[in-house]
Amino acid sequence: MNDTHKFVVSSSPHIKSQDTVSNAMRDVFIALMPITLVSIYFFRFYAVLTIAVCLVTAVLTEILFKKLMHKKPQLHDWSALLTGLFVAMLFQATTPWYKAALATFIAVGIAKELAGGLGWNRFNPALFGRVALVILAPLYAYVNQWFQPLAIHLGPLDTITQATPLAMLRAGLEMPPISELFFAFPAGALAEVSPFALLLGAAYLFYRKHIGWRIPVSILATMIILTLITGENPVYHLVTGGIMIGAFFMATDWVTSPMTDKGKIIFGVAIGVLVVVFRVGFMITEGVAFAILIMNAFVPMIEKATSRPQFGKIKAVAVPMAEKK
Amino acid sequence: MEVKQFFGGIHVPHYKSFTEHKAIKEASLPEEIIIPLLQHTGAPNEPLVNVGDKVKAGQKIGATDKFVSAPVHASLSGTVTAIEPRPFITGQMIDSIVIAVDKNQDKLELANNDLDKVSKEDIINAVKEAGIVGMGGAAFPTAIKLSPPPDKKVDALIINGCECEPYLTCDHRLMLEKPAELLQGIKLLMKMLSVEEAYLCIEDNKDDAIEAVRQENDDPNIVLLRMPTKYPQGSEKHLVKAALDREIPSGGLPFDIGALIQNVGTCVAIYEAVKYNKPLIERVVAVTGQNLKDPQNLMVKIGTPLSHIIDECGGIVEEPAKVVVGGPMTGRAQETLNVPVVKGTTGVVVLPPDMALEDMEYSDCVRCCKCVEHCPMLLYPNQISIYCEAGMIEDALEWNTMDCIECGICAYVCPSKRPITQLVQRTKPLIRELLSKR
Ligand code: SF4
Ligand code: SF4
Repeated sequence: MNDTHKFVVSSSPHIKSQDTVSNAMRDVFIALMPITLVSIYFFRFYAVLTIAVCLVTAVLTEILFKKLMHKKPQLHDWSALLTGLFVAMLFQATTPWYKAALATFIAVGIAKELAGGLGWNRFNPALFGRVALVILAPLYAYVNQWFQPLAIHLGPLDTITQATPLAMLRAGLEMPPISELFFAFPAGALAEVSPFALLLGAAYLFYRKHIGWRIPVSILATMIILTLITGENPVYHLVTGGIMIGAFFMATDWVTSPMTDKGKIIFGVAIGVLVVVFRVGFMITEGVAFAILIMNAFVPMIEKATSRPQFGKIKAVAVPMAEKK
Repeated sequence: MEVKQFFGGIHVPHYKSFTEHKAIKEASLPEEIIIPLLQHTGAPNEPLVNVGDKVKAGQKIGATDKFVSAPVHASLSGTVTAIEPRPFITGQMIDSIVIAVDKNQDKLELANNDLDKVSKEDIINAVKEAGIVGMGGAAFPTAIKLSPPPDKKVDALIINGCECEPYLTCDHRLMLEKPAELLQGIKLLMKMLSVEEAYLCIEDNKDDAIEAVRQENDDPNIVLLRMPTKYPQGSEKHLVKAALDREIPSGGLPFDIGALIQNVGTCVAIYEAVKYNKPLIERVVAVTGQNLKDPQNLMVKIGTPLSHIIDECGGIVEEPAKVVVGGPMTGRAQETLNVPVVKGTTGVVVLPPDMALEDMEYSDCVRCCKCVEHCPMLLYPNQISIYCEAGMIEDALEWNTMDCIECGICAYVCPSKRPITQLVQRTKPLIRELLSKR
């Protein structure tokens, strides 16, 4: 046999796993389906509109920014769509569409693309977009005037006028039964309507090995302990507000959480502490979002402090000598 | 005996079923053999023959008086037709002795020494004369390895029968078919090193081999260890950790912690060298892969071109193909089939078009930490890849790039398909340069 063959030459390893970034992102998308469906069930067209606006804005923003930065759009990795869906989940269904769109634009355009694209962003993009609108409220009020005429009115939806359970908790009102809050209670942001649906999604992510136990468990455990100490009912804290989506979907974000095992626990505990401080101490309902973003900033520091020693550096190796006979 | 698990590592698909149940078969006579003068780690040999000379099988045809080296022998009788640079599995050109093989081969003349009477000296001389090198792929001259510096005392001998790379089955078949020779080889090593105990480590996906050796073993000091199947179980560092729970210090060698590791193939070669004065002129090669018509475990004469053994296995089914010498995790892809099988060639794997991955497009690290989770050296391959890619040598050193054993796991698991191992290979020489300047 002579060399009429053309062989593929590349460096080792010559086999690769089937995992890809787009598969993983798609899995997170799938994991968000239960909560998406429950929110659509409750809020009907309001939810559909918010979600659709965020998805479309996310895609357009990515295309725009990649063009501006002379890069190829990476839509196939699903990450823009995912950020869009996450932003939608953080808003109430009655939020004006342009508000949701603006948050999405900030999330994808500024928090992600300007930071260097997927993998380089320090802050969770969706939370960043959402919180930007809270912080920039005065500015938003200004913008709001121009956009008001564009608001879309979809007619009345009685479930929407309810106070959110977390606000009720803070105001000391009588709470609905816990089981209702856990399975489905139509108030608050889209992601707040059903902790149960979020847990289903989180279980899927565990099963697919995309998230680990360290971050969510340390957040929830810290919250339970601290609320018990301050004399509050921990169960209400766990089923209200954005804690479920925060602990299982946002704090576990690959890019913005620590890569060390110990670091993940420190990160989770710190988030738990901050959430309780914000909620109990300052009565802030966006506590979860703030807590996670603040800790995102500390990730490099946490990683540095907790990096493991490499193999062969774990312990001083005593050389066991054979007894000379 | 309890075996310690090491941290990290992965379960890669084995792909061993192509050849694991096929008995070792003698390969047919090639027309030509190519004996590279350098096929070990160390100094190259000088040719001892000239073009036109007749050589006999087993005749020493290349040697050097440099310390770290192993002589080479003609693996078949024939006529030397050229002494010139020829392509080698690393992609380099290496000075080689090319021999046109005679149609009629005489039987190899063998001695028959009494193993009870051999001295340490006899053993080391036989190993040196036979040109034995590590047959698990590293190809380090065995005689050198068996003479550790006087201040390092070896107290445990580990025999590596893990064969943790996917596809490869040469060690598996050897243990199954030649357990007596293997055990004799181990006993010779124990005698040579004056160690009390030897640990023969075999992964638990080769229970038939474990059973074959157990049946044959009459020495309680040769301990059989059934290791969990996990890549890279056969890496020296991880093997010592698993067998002895000793950790080779960063930058150190096994004898720093009193251990010496030999591959099972090397043990059999040592036995044959001491017992029969037989030089290392043939070895078992797993010729395998989805893209080969008839995968086989072949007993191949050193110097046989890959084209010959691939033909012997029915040829390549589908193109484009990728031909890898060694295992798919650490082996080398070949540009041509005109390269010879050498002493360290464990296998030839022919991958089908859908697995014949080119250097593919990769994207930025998404910090998923799958590489961190599985790196058996407990490194941070993600950080390493970023610094190596950016050419930030100091930072790469800081993140312990030099400790990387290039096992390929990080690049295997990475969802962004980052060529981390390749980046490390490219950066290591730059780091060495930096260190030498300090
Ligand atoms: S190739 Fe190096 S960095 Fe990658 S997993 Fe193996 S030892 Fe770790
Ligand atoms: S596996 Fe790849 S994407 Fe994930 S952390 Fe490692 S280098 Fe980054």
